[in-house]
Amino acid sequence: MSRITVENVTRRYGGAKAVDGVSLDIADGEFLVLLGPSGCGKSTLLRAIAGLLAPSEGRILVDGRDVTDIPARGRDLAMVFQSYALYPHLTVARNIGFPLRARRVRRADVRRRVAEVAEILDLSALLDRRPRELSGGQRQRVALGRALVRDPGAFLMDEPLSNLDAQLRTATRTEITELHRRLGRTFIYVTHDQVEAMTMATRVAVLNRGRLEQIGSPTEVYDQPASAFVAAFLGSPPMNLLDAELVTRDGQLHAVAPQVDVPLGIRVAAAGAPRDGGDPAAGRAIQLGIRPEHLLVTSATGGTGSTDSTDSGSAHETGPAVLRGTIRTVENLGSEEIAHCVIGATEVRVRARRPAGLTAGDAIALSARPEHTHLFDRDSGRRLVWQSDQPVSVPPARVPVTT
Amino acid sequence: MFVEVAPPTQLAPAPPPSAGAGTPGPSHARRSAGSLARMLGRGVIPYLYLAPALGMLVVWIYRPLVQTANYSFYSWNLSPDQPAIPQGWHNYHRLFTLPEAGNSVLRTVAMIALLLPFTIIIPIIVGLLTAEVRGRARTVYQALIFAPFLVAPVASAAVWQWMLTPGSGIVNRATGLKTNWLHERLPALLSITGIAGWQMLGFAVLVVSAGLASINGDYSEAASVDGASRWQSTRWLTLPLLSPTLVFLVLTTVLLAGTWTFPLIDTLTQGGPVSATTNIYYLLWQYGFKSFDAGFAAAAGVIFFFGFTLVAAFLVWLSDRLTFHDN
Ligand SMILES: Nc1ncnc2c1ncn2[C@@H]1O[C@H](COP(=O)(O)OP(=O)(O)OP(=O)(O)O)[C@@H](O)[C@H]1O
Ligand SMILES: [Mg+2]
Repeated sequence: MSRITVENVTRRYGGAKAVDGVSLDIADGEFLVLLGPSGCGKSTLLRAIAGLLAPSEGRILVDGRDVTDIPARGRDLAMVFQSYALYPHLTVARNIGFPLRARRVRRADVRRRVAEVAEILDLSALLDRRPRELSGGQRQRVALGRALVRDPGAFLMDEPLSNLDAQLRTATRTEITELHRRLGRTFIYVTHDQVEAMTMATRVAVLNRGRLEQIGSPTEVYDQPASAFVAAFLGSPPMNLLDAELVTRDGQLHAVAPQVDVPLGIRVAAAGAPRDGGDPAAGRAIQLGIRPEHLLVTSATGGTGSTDSTDSGSAHETGPAVLRGTIRTVENLGSEEIAHCVIGATEVRVRARRPAGLTAGDAIALSARPEHTHLFDRDSGRRLVWQSDQPVSVPPARVPVTT
Repeated sequence: MFVEVAPPTQLAPAPPPSAGAGTPGPSHARRSAGSLARMLGRGVIPYLYLAPALGMLVVWIYRPLVQTANYSFYSWNLSPDQPAIPQGWHNYHRLFTLPEAGNSVLRTVAMIALLLPFTIIIPIIVGLLTAEVRGRARTVYQALIFAPFLVAPVASAAVWQWMLTPGSGIVNRATGLKTNWLHERLPALLSITGIAGWQMLGFAVLVVSAGLASINGDYSEAASVDGASRWQSTRWLTLPLLSPTLVFLVLTTVLLAGTWTFPLIDTLTQGGPVSATTNIYYLLWQYGFKSFDAGFAAAAGVIFFFGFTLVAAFLVWLSDRLTFHDN
């Protein structure tokens, strides 16, 4: 039973901040994934929570108790290391039983508990082996067993699957999720693998250069990325980001760039009736984000380029094409294909179910639904949300609110 | 009608890479006498590189070894104009019946036992205590401990002789004892091993520190998360993982105790008083180069060669057993 609170934790190495003012409140029973690219401070944060290194600033609380100055062994947390850190001279049974032995549990009880855990993890036949006589997957399970054996308040895991092959990783992923469901304990899980984050987490905390970019459910993080960084980190291929300007036309906001004109589905005051000298958001430098799977191919021709007539000919309810460009390459993923298109100055990836009939060199026209567009401030990178709390006839908030 | 798609045949030629890649040449046909010579040369060259080292080994190690074994069956006083008289196993018989030889073996064992605290126990303690020291302080610290190792034994013997002088020596003045360190039986033995230990301590500390540094830090971190105290993690993880290093140090101590103590014995006590510091090496040397009984010394040398080979083989075997390769 552990609720873990991280309050404004900073960890410095020399002048550099590996973790920079991170605050998290992890509820009891949650599966929190710390996600981020290599070197963003995930391990550092996890080790600070575990008590293996002291934060330079901030506090760490377990169930409301300040443990910032309490060494690792006083925190009642279990950790699975990326290297597994199995004690090489001890048998599997002794490795799993180690935490109990350290707590001076009676021998008979240790043996019974080790047998139970080995049963759960399917290690019973391997109890007398030493770590070097095990396969990678078996080592991983022993490491898990050592964490499980004493029923800790929370499990901390630092990329526990990164040394496994793809197939085993998928299987173990499911096992860990299952374990979490059954134990109902708090899990904090570090990974740079977005698939692990999306599939296992109840909440994902995305870190970038030591700072927390966003925390939310996998769905939130994927569907409403709070920053351009999160948008570009999640998804494979990740979200397309295009530099664009905001323009009002016919009372509608559009994101406009060379060869790009995307209606955003946001109604503003009629352009003909500027009350205070123009439309509210015009000229704002933004980044337009559209996920590859949300781009619809309205036409792809091997000719000199698409014309308006072909656009109107394709009966997409999304309206006319909004991005035009050329297909550079097409990657075949089996079930789908990814077309890399050059649109204006940027490359845009489109995901389409096969066969989509896309060929490198063709001209392509794409469209997207307004609800599938994301706007980010070009300087801060934060997500822009339109606030429409006022009637449409009244000029809305001048500046989109930054979340 | 269905037609099965044939599996790729094993020898299916790969489609030729676009351009510029050469086709395999007819290498067999082109192998000429010249290239055959080159092949032979290729076989010989590694041995030519090895030859100097091998030559040194044979001339300086194996030939004397064989000669020693040979001399152990003769009676000879080392002078070139005297004939070596064949003796059969007589030298060996003398060796095993001479009480002096047995006593010197016991004294050797005692010296090794007294040296072990300096090469094992103190280095472990110092190594564990200084493992946390980092950066420049660590270098300074290790240099300080290592320094005695660099002093020539004869020089340090001279300094210690002066410090151990009865009456005016700094040791007796500091401790208030009246011991005549180099001329009483037990104190002389303790002095010799103490000085040798003092010299070897730095070396052993360095070896232990290197051994500790090579232990993956993850283990102690995992242990601390697992709830082990510092002492538990030292006892259950650090020491077992350090054991190959410790066996190496035991091996070094056993095999080299004679070499380390010899110059000290020769300069400070000459094996006395009343042979109290005569170990087998010194005894061997006395027989060979004082009594000029080369045959007897050679026989002793042969016996101890085999004795130490056995001890070394056992320790190497033990070290292998104790080594746990991680990942
Ligand atoms: N002992 C250290 N001394 C100095 N800098 C460090 C140290 N440990 C980590 N760092 C720095 O702190 C930053 C965060 O490191 P951390 O190990 O937490 O990254 P990570 O997110 O776990 O990356 P990865 O996914 O590669 O494991 C990195 O820039 C790293 O260089
Ligand atoms: Mg890491």
